[in-house]
Amino acid sequence: MSIAADQTQSWLDQHPGAPLAGAGASWLDSARANALALFERIGLPGVRDEQWRYTNLRALKSKLYQPAANSQSDWSLPESDHPRFVLVDGVYNAGLSNLEGVAKGVQFMPLDDAVADSRFDLETRFGSTLPAQQHGFSALNTAYCQGGYVLMLGAGATSKSPLEVLFLNSATDSTADASAISHTRNFIIADANSQCTVIERHQGTDGSVYLHNTITEIIAGDNAHIDHYKIQQDSCDAFHIGGVFIEQARSAQVKTHNLALGGLVARNDVRASLSGEGAHIEMNGLVFGRGRQHVDNHTEVVHAVPHCTSDEYYRSVLDDQSRSVFRGRIIVAQDAQQTNAEQQNNNLLLSAGAEADTKPQLEIYADDVQCSHGATVGQLDPKSLFYLNSRGIDTESARALLTFAFANEVIERIAIESVRDEMTQLIAGALLDGMEELL
Amino acid sequence: MLSVKNLHASVFDTPILKGLNLEVNAGEVHAIMGPNGSGKSTLANVVAGRPGYEITEGTVEYQGKDIREMDASERAGEGVFLAFQYPVEIPGVSNMAMLKAAINSLRKYRGEGEMPAAEFLQLIKEKAALVEMKQELLKRSVNEGFSGGEKKRNEILQMAMLEPTLALLDETDSGLDIDALKIVSKGVNALRSPERAMVLVTHYQRLLDYIVPDYVHVLSDGKIVKSGDKSLALELEEKGYSWIEQELQQAS
Repeated sequence: MSIAADQTQSWLDQHPGAPLAGAGASWLDSARANALALFERIGLPGVRDEQWRYTNLRALKSKLYQPAANSQSDWSLPESDHPRFVLVDGVYNAGLSNLEGVAKGVQFMPLDDAVADSRFDLETRFGSTLPAQQHGFSALNTAYCQGGYVLMLGAGATSKSPLEVLFLNSATDSTADASAISHTRNFIIADANSQCTVIERHQGTDGSVYLHNTITEIIAGDNAHIDHYKIQQDSCDAFHIGGVFIEQARSAQVKTHNLALGGLVARNDVRASLSGEGAHIEMNGLVFGRGRQHVDNHTEVVHAVPHCTSDEYYRSVLDDQSRSVFRGRIIVAQDAQQTNAEQQNNNLLLSAGAEADTKPQLEIYADDVQCSHGATVGQLDPKSLFYLNSRGIDTESARALLTFAFANEVIERIAIESVRDEMTQLIAGALLDGMEELL
Repeated sequence: MLSVKNLHASVFDTPILKGLNLEVNAGEVHAIMGPNGSGKSTLANVVAGRPGYEITEGTVEYQGKDIREMDASERAGEGVFLAFQYPVEIPGVSNMAMLKAAINSLRKYRGEGEMPAAEFLQLIKEKAALVEMKQELLKRSVNEGFSGGEKKRNEILQMAMLEPTLALLDETDSGLDIDALKIVSKGVNALRSPERAMVLVTHYQRLLDYIVPDYVHVLSDGKIVKSGDKSLALELEEKGYSWIEQELQQAS
């Protein structure tokens, strides 16, 4: 048996008796069996896979895992006026959640409930947004997902208040033999003309080592409007493997905001398939890397039909020895005339040890399209630094201000004021004590 | 106030200033004129502490302090201000935020507490009116998308807010139309005071019609070769810089 196969088997052995969501639904049982078979065949991705070439999984693979124990009970959550769905170590926690007050026509429920109720028809939707070629983590996710949220919006339903989802990870014991692993699978299914904003927060105590493998599938019906925020503040020793997979029908408008602040290794795939005319996807991303963090963002937009637009804007700020990878693939099918696709990826290196890899990838098969892309890797501009210095602002503060300004170009794209303020405080405060007061 | 003696300076290793002497007292306005490449802008930038502008010989004292080893922010703390020839655009930092940061940094340097928010707002309102700057421009990113005239007015606004004791204006008039020039000059004149000195670096005599200097100096090849009162500027305007150069040649 090869080493790779050994490892694959070991990964399978690390999930004995994990609680599975929706157990007993025969379609899901068979989907899980298929995913297991797939995983046995492909295993975890490695540097030989083109899409994982720059993703260093050595630290992730060197750990032993066991299903997260749901061990922490002393959670103190900030107050919130919004409906809130809380998962602890991948499992829905009713006590911490508040699903009251969702708007008419909106249903917000645990994955278990949605699987059990055939009216929601999760059977045909489960996995429908995933790319044909899956990687080992998404196979594991299907095989072992323990929980997740399902948000269903009926035709015309509008949720004025943002819906919040907290993925909490228990503090782990650093002396334990195995680290916690959890898999979550989430759905936002928005029927025609519906509208919602979802804020996913991923959190864990610094110093805790765990692996959270999460997938959110978004199915946007005709003219549905969905804003999806993912605020990833996992422990700086944790591993985060995430996927946001989106299917958009005619004129569906989806915005994703991917704010990657935590994790030792964080990988996020965002993929949108524009399969109805007039669909629009906006993908925003901000990476704030410090220490030895490694943050990967892989985006893919598939323009399958004419008259769709996409707008990608990813920025990384990298300090210390941190590293970011951006891969942005845009596919414009032969029939997808009148496509307008834009992509920007800018990286700011604050230290000599930081590194950014950026790879725009445009595959255009139509002839009447507008596609533009730009990628930069740079440092703070000495002219700007001198300008601020000459106004009396010392070098440390000037650097912090300019770094914030760079990140702020992404923060400004956040539509919800409270989230925008929160990000401003968070980033500004991390750069320089007291700077948030200025802004 | 500012005492420059035998100043030699290089810009990224190219010698530009070659033994320059200049004495500026409080309350005075000095104009520095001269042909392109004579070192006018270099002088302003060296005094302000721009990185890459290196003093190789000579001394620069400001209010009795040797400022050669101070970085630009410390010199600003001491009261030096440079209005840039080409103001820098800083996307993502609003004018307001930069000014607030600047004022509080200067106050901190001088051992004072932060300016109360209400006082700051009142001050900026008053000073913006002086340079006829629209309120909306204050909320915009520093100089981003500003016209040439708006950028220069913004420099004067910053000067008015920071209240330096020595203002160095590097070709603030270049590229301005007559209306913008009048507004900028009005702003500068409003800031003239017995405690404050100004050094105007300019290529054109035109500015001096609006801001009347006490002294005019002509720079050539890194040295001041002729000094006089405002009539020197008019003579230069009439006869051109070649007149000075011819005079120099005859003298040698």
